[in-house]
Amino acid sequence: MIAVEQAAHTSADSVENVGEFSHDADAPVLRLGEVPLRRTVELVRIDLPTDTMVPLLERGIVPGCRMCPLRQSPSGDPILLVDGVVLALRREMAECLRVRDIAPDAD
Amino acid sequence: MSSECGVATTDARVESGSVRSGSVLVALVGPPNSGKSTLFNQLTGLRQKVANYPGVTVEKRLGHARLPDGREVGVVDLPGVHGFAARSLDERVAKDVLEGRAPDMPAPDGVILVVDSTRLEPQLMLVEPVLELGLPTLLVLNMTDELERRGGGVDADALAERLGVEVVRANARAGVGLDRIRAFLANVASGAVAAPVAAGGVGTADAAAHAATVEGSAAAADSMTAADSTTAANPVAASDAGVATSPSRPRRIELPVLDTYVDRRGRIRRIGQQARYTPPAPSWLTERLDAIFLHKVWGPLIFFVVVALVFQAIFAWAAPLMDGIEALVEVSGAWLSDRLPDNWFRSLLIDGVWMGVGSVIVFLPQILILFLFLGILEDSGYMARAAVIADRMMYKVGLQGRAFLPLLSGYACAVPAIMAARTVEDERDRLATIFVVPFMTCSARLPVYTLLIAAFIPDRPLLGPFFGARAATLLGLYLLGAVAAVGTAFLLKRTLLRGESTTFLMELPPYRLPTLRSLAIRLLDRARIFLRRVGRVILTVTVVLWALTQFPRVDGQAPEVDDSALGRIGHVIEPVIEPLGFDWRIGVGIISSLAAREVIVGTLGTIYGIEEATETSTELRDRLRRDLDMGSGIALMVFFAFALQCISTIAVARRETGGWKWPAIQWAYMLTLAVIGAFIANRIF
Repeated sequence: MIAVEQAAHTSADSVENVGEFSHDADAPVLRLGEVPLRRTVELVRIDLPTDTMVPLLERGIVPGCRMCPLRQSPSGDPILLVDGVVLALRREMAECLRVRDIAPDAD
Repeated sequence: MSSECGVATTDARVESGSVRSGSVLVALVGPPNSGKSTLFNQLTGLRQKVANYPGVTVEKRLGHARLPDGREVGVVDLPGVHGFAARSLDERVAKDVLEGRAPDMPAPDGVILVVDSTRLEPQLMLVEPVLELGLPTLLVLNMTDELERRGGGVDADALAERLGVEVVRANARAGVGLDRIRAFLANVASGAVAAPVAAGGVGTADAAAHAATVEGSAAAADSMTAADSTTAANPVAASDAGVATSPSRPRRIELPVLDTYVDRRGRIRRIGQQARYTPPAPSWLTERLDAIFLHKVWGPLIFFVVVALVFQAIFAWAAPLMDGIEALVEVSGAWLSDRLPDNWFRSLLIDGVWMGVGSVIVFLPQILILFLFLGILEDSGYMARAAVIADRMMYKVGLQGRAFLPLLSGYACAVPAIMAARTVEDERDRLATIFVVPFMTCSARLPVYTLLIAAFIPDRPLLGPFFGARAATLLGLYLLGAVAAVGTAFLLKRTLLRGESTTFLMELPPYRLPTLRSLAIRLLDRARIFLRRVGRVILTVTVVLWALTQFPRVDGQAPEVDDSALGRIGHVIEPVIEPLGFDWRIGVGIISSLAAREVIVGTLGTIYGIEEATETSTELRDRLRRDLDMGSGIALMVFFAFALQCISTIAVARRETGGWKWPAIQWAYMLTLAVIGAFIANRIF
């Protein structure tokens, strides 16, 4: 089972990162709210209490995943594209999601 | 009254109660809006609510699927969940059923996990918790046709191999893949499907024995020797408990929750890659429509037009239908009355039952029109956008966007509205929503308002010919309810339900055309629920009231209402309600309307001794005007705007909050507000 070996290797290096993407380690860490529309970024950290974080985690939104702000709701809250899912959240939560640019060649 | 046989097809039976003992039960699990309910309908024949809005299955539904060989398998449709952290009521219900702890049904013998292929990877986050149940499992990749149409793809066989479970490509809406799903049911019924490998996750000896017999058991063995993580080695088992006897935990134990999900997400991504999963291109139509519906200016504008349209439909378009039903009830009542001998039985049947039930059935068109509109909004996917637009406003008063649907439904009836509050994930937000829903002006208040406005408010123009004093009063009463709801929510979130909630996550599903079939089923369902309510509560109250007006007998005849048991009760409470401007008749009306608000119309009709007591009855209006002044009339309207005069609402609030505490607080609070409001109104006007 190839899956087994790969899983064993990658999940050992870092839990902050799923390990699939080559991100630009030098890129500054931003708040999701600061990211311009249509720019794909990688989630690095979620600064929320566990209880509040679980709904995100259950939807597969974990550090290492990529997201892209698609548009803003009329009240200015972000609407994201994450793993093919269009997801609306509040800007208060977006402020707690730390992201970083993906290296240009990673795409 | 039951239309169940009307909706179920010949090859299926549906029960709302328990499963027969000894029968096989399979549970349908999946994230919200993945097509579970559609599949459930296809399997069992029951057409139930299926919507393009997260969280439609508010209760578990049970049906029986008939297999080709004639055997029957019980199928339970669980609420859509993203996981089993048991944060929301839906998650608790799903978890309890799957673990065999639901009081009314046995533990399931198998699980069908339904996922939307167009969002495969995040939806597969449920795979591991489901496999950990250790039950025979089938993974249904729903909507693979849409995935491929939008340029995506997945190798179902590779996925099956990686996960160690059977995988079926399906399109539940079109019935594609049903044969293999039925075959799975048949195999479960025969005990021919083994539990999946990850069954080891639950750590029972039984499950471990199963695991050893199934392909992939090597994974379980591997994990026993994995040096640094119990979870890393097994492609599907992520449980902290693990198969492994090794006590070693993943690194960074200070964040075990995060670790679990990060690891799981990584495994899912890898499995997705191995199954050559290509996500679909974003739907062009959905992108274009969202650009309009979520536009800074057009978005809110369209939102308000939609809400206005729903109101217009409930009040203007339903009117001819309601008039028709009303006329039908009166004509048929008179026809029946002419053909029966004049005795107590005729009095009970015509004055009590026929007119009492008739005055309530009148609301059926209104309720059905509301649910038709809500159905279109949900199935099309617009409701999720509406929730996003409403969220900021709701957040300011202490609620959240998901409360928009319950509150809007509250304008028809608080009972389905309170149940719809289950989609509100945050428990405090959900309780606050349930608490304020009864302030929304439900259609049962409408006949009361109509009668009182006609009796006490002069018909004179205010703003042009189309907006008069009567319309203004009705609008004022609607606003009064909405303001009370907002104020109460604001208050609650600063007192009993204090706490910051930032969790508002709303998936915006692709826009889809609602199917006529799904809309029709939804309306049938609603009609059935409503008629059942009429049959039980309203009928009982009407009959009891009628009986109270018939005793004590005077010379074998019914007494004057004033001297009857009902009249005596009224006189006892008269001093209490006198400061509000009410007399004993109104008092009796208020007591009887504890069962349901609209009952007061029938009660007053009975008391005033008018046979055709309906809300447009001129005689009733005239009698009221003679007994009460305008101040009392307005006080009565304000009373009904606030008071929780509805047994069904109290019952559903008890069920949804799990006890009497919340409905008791709610009832007392609303009654206090109603008495104070009526007192003030009586002084002002």
